[in-house]
Amino acid sequence: MNIRCATPEDLMNMQHCNLLCLPENYQMKYYFYHGLSWPQLSYVAEDESGKIVGYVLAKMEEDPEDSVPHGHITSLAVKRSYRRLGMAQKLMDQASRAMCENFDAKYVSLHVRKSNRAALHLYTNTLKFQISEIEPKYYADGEDAYAMRRDLSEFKEVFKQETIKETAGQDTSKETPKEVGIQESCRESQKEKPSQEKASET
Amino acid sequence: MPTNNPLPPKENALFKRILKCYEQKQYKNGLKFAKQILTNPKFSEHGETLAMKGLTLNCLGRKEEAYEFVRRGLRNDLKSHVCWHVYGLLQRSDRKYDEAIKCYRNALKWDKDNLQILRDLSLLQIQMRDLEGYRDTRYQLLVLRPGQRASWIGYAMSYHLLKDYDMAIKILEEFRKTQLPKPFDYEHSELLLYQNMVIREANMLDEALKHLETHEKEIVDKLSLQEIRGELYLKLGRREEAASVYRELISRNPENWAYYKGLENAFQLDGEEEQLKLYTEMQEKFPRTAAPRRIPLTFTTGDLFKRLLDKYLRSSFHKGVPPLFVTLKSVYKDPWKVQVVEDLVLKYAENLKECEHFDRSDEGDKEPPTALVWVYYFLAQHFDHRGDTRKSLHYVDLAIEHTPLLIELYVLKAKIYKHAGDVEESARLMDEAQSLDTADRYINSKCAKYMLRANLVQEAAEMCSKFTREGVSAVDNLNEMQCMWFQTENAAAYQRMGKWGEALKKCHEVDRHFSEIIEDQFDFHTYCMRKMTLRAYVGLLRLEDVLRRHPFYYKAAKIAVEIYLHLHDHPLKDGDKDSSQDTENLTPRELKKLRSKQRKAQKKAEMEREKQKQEEQKKEHQNKKQDADLEGPKEEELVPDKLARVEDPLEQAIHFLKPLQLLCADRIETHIYAYEIYSRKGKLLLMLQSLKRSHKVDPENPHLHVSLLRFIKLVNQKKAESSETVHKVIQHELERICGNKDAKILNEEFLKRNSNSVLHRAAAAKMMYEYEPTPEVQEKALNLATKLSRDLSGLTVKNCIEVLEYMCRGEFGKCEKAVQDYQVQCHNLFPCAPSFIIPANSQPDQIVANGTAS
Repeated sequence: MNIRCATPEDLMNMQHCNLLCLPENYQMKYYFYHGLSWPQLSYVAEDESGKIVGYVLAKMEEDPEDSVPHGHITSLAVKRSYRRLGMAQKLMDQASRAMCENFDAKYVSLHVRKSNRAALHLYTNTLKFQISEIEPKYYADGEDAYAMRRDLSEFKEVFKQETIKETAGQDTSKETPKEVGIQESCRESQKEKPSQEKASET
Repeated sequence: MPTNNPLPPKENALFKRILKCYEQKQYKNGLKFAKQILTNPKFSEHGETLAMKGLTLNCLGRKEEAYEFVRRGLRNDLKSHVCWHVYGLLQRSDRKYDEAIKCYRNALKWDKDNLQILRDLSLLQIQMRDLEGYRDTRYQLLVLRPGQRASWIGYAMSYHLLKDYDMAIKILEEFRKTQLPKPFDYEHSELLLYQNMVIREANMLDEALKHLETHEKEIVDKLSLQEIRGELYLKLGRREEAASVYRELISRNPENWAYYKGLENAFQLDGEEEQLKLYTEMQEKFPRTAAPRRIPLTFTTGDLFKRLLDKYLRSSFHKGVPPLFVTLKSVYKDPWKVQVVEDLVLKYAENLKECEHFDRSDEGDKEPPTALVWVYYFLAQHFDHRGDTRKSLHYVDLAIEHTPLLIELYVLKAKIYKHAGDVEESARLMDEAQSLDTADRYINSKCAKYMLRANLVQEAAEMCSKFTREGVSAVDNLNEMQCMWFQTENAAAYQRMGKWGEALKKCHEVDRHFSEIIEDQFDFHTYCMRKMTLRAYVGLLRLEDVLRRHPFYYKAAKIAVEIYLHLHDHPLKDGDKDSSQDTENLTPRELKKLRSKQRKAQKKAEMEREKQKQEEQKKEHQNKKQDADLEGPKEEELVPDKLARVEDPLEQAIHFLKPLQLLCADRIETHIYAYEIYSRKGKLLLMLQSLKRSHKVDPENPHLHVSLLRFIKLVNQKKAESSETVHKVIQHELERICGNKDAKILNEEFLKRNSNSVLHRAAAAKMMYEYEPTPEVQEKALNLATKLSRDLSGLTVKNCIEVLEYMCRGEFGKCEKAVQDYQVQCHNLFPCAPSFIIPANSQPDQIVANGTAS
């Protein structure tokens, strides 16, 4: 599978992939909002015919409460028929690096359903995320979310040395769980940022 | 400000407050202030106040009154830029952009330097792609506000979009010189990369490279920097530098295939051995990366391929990689390689069963038991790909026997039945798979899709409802979320069921999604200029220009055109229910089944309708509140029965066809459909045009052949009626397409050229009978169309059904016996496909018994 940075043409197919795989969905405008605000941060995995089989939709937090610039994963999905190729991790690594380089992100955050143990496992064990807090009733259906974080400073160091070389003996593809899927709550999708800033080009 | 009747200070203050209320969305207060002015008899006809009142009413959803007041205001003050601007805004909110542009232009006549109006105008111009108008407006904005960043960017971009690269580059450069970038300046970096994009599009490669080098340190998007550099070095023939850039890119993202291609091009490698050396090196460097192990399987041949494949397969089976088969898609393009795969994997299966090794001579640890399941799973997919349903089912059953609860196996089995043409069994199996993991939406979606293929519309919606929002019907929620895979599949199901109106509703919903997505760009015209994400923005504009090229649109348009053609030929009569379908196309067994299904569906639908009514009432209640905030016009409700009783089916068909002609001219169906539409309108020249375009895409296409021969016949019939010039043009063009030969000769030649293809034979047979409908020719034609043998190309379930449909539709005259014989023949070839089962001798639902996991 080919992994590359997403272009505007990919966004519709990412929406399609999202609708097939995950319960939290967004209208196209929200994808445009991501792709046109932070074009470097979203990535896709495609098969040989160019079909999108996985993606990560990512952004920067616009007004971080802690005033520390950080990235956020809005949605990550890999089609079930393409799982266990380790793509979720590869997608996430690319997006994370882009956050550091382009926006000086210090960490990346995400939300995951409390009940989604497979995803929780992936984030904790494979991607080195840590639970930062519990957000009660985060999802539209009333489920709680874990807010998770991964520090990127170490990540940044690794890139500086330009050694992507994998540390030997850690074949994480084995531990990649069968299902992967996290999502933002639907509430967020309705914000539609660009329209708020309309008519104020002064 | 030049207006006819200025207000005295007190009223003028009130008027200003109306404006403020509008900006702050305090519409109710705005109306209050308007009232205060208008109740004074002296100002009861004050134009600008009336107009503003109208605009405010529009925001409260009171559209009709809004138009009334705005127009009244305008009539009272035709020289007020405010009134014209307001009228423009009103039109814009209804998405009547052309009208709005006219209003803004009028407004500017009375106040030519009004910034707000100029900005609004420029937005509409770019939205409508009036690029010259956009350039002129951006010029004025720049003159008026040279200190603003957006003024420069907008002006430069207008030249870029007009492909006047030199001017665009110059303006950007002037602007860049005024910038003082901060140390880590993302926006500045984006500006530079945009400028570089323009330089590259101007094909000024040396300048582009120089530009990058000059500004390297200011660019924070290192990935784009390197990608552009690699591309430029390659184009400029600076191969060593290109190689080192691509090496860096690979170490950054070793799963990007384009980087390997770049590296190969840089080295200009000769021969597969040399190529392979490169990939071996990369494998060692990035041991956990798939690309360098996988890519060589595409370019290697012979023993080298065999050796690599063996290694690749073994390690994947050993680890247990379920998607192994799909990673090999392109390898399957080469029949020789397919055979190698088959031989190898069959051998693994045999040996694993015997001694738990891939090869009998293997020593050391035994393979895990999972290896054998994945080998069976792989073989089942392999034989499914080859169209060997029997073997495919054999291996998937072996796998299920080995590991009865592995969901992937049921998913695959469902797929095999789908490919074999038994949609009902495939839906049942997918439901079984779904029941094993109800938390996974992917399986849920696939299950719904298979149900739709089996025309189980109601069941599919229920399946989807497990993942859609509570309190809304699944179908509505999927529409709101623009879930087009569901809607196109749903439309196709309704079409098969003869529910024309319901199907059309889905097609129109999809069409509206595309309109909505085109609308979506509006806010980004200003947004991106401020964010400086200009490359992505240009990407968006270019995407929107060709948006309806997307396969989802194609699917919806195809169904809509087919249905509108049908409705033109068979308009619904007053008493007809929409679900009436031409039962003449169905075999008696299908008919019986259909009837009982219809009865059940009707009952269910009634209950559903009741439920929906209640929900709608609830929703309407909520909507009333929300409507005020909604932007854009309220769209006309899509009522299936109304859609099915359309007055101008051909015009509707053209509405769906137009984007295809513009954007999908490379697909022959586009022109075949165009021909069908225009032939019903009797437009000879447009028919000719469609034939020409079809001919350009694929001169041997069987549908084209049929249309062409019919056209020749028609032209000869109409010779007397049509004007001489038209006739001359047609003859001239036909000469170029088919040499003005006699239709019968054309048919014979066509058959001779394509005598080993199922669909071509059927097309030729059809024409043979159409030109000469005698019993002798009928027999000959039927023989030709229905003779089946393994060495014919295009021998698929789908194509055989198509031929069967021609026969049932009467294209060969009455031929019941032949239909039966053909079904028997097809049934032998495709035992799982229900279309070929003759009712008397079988009960298809009992053919398959799969007891393991029910």
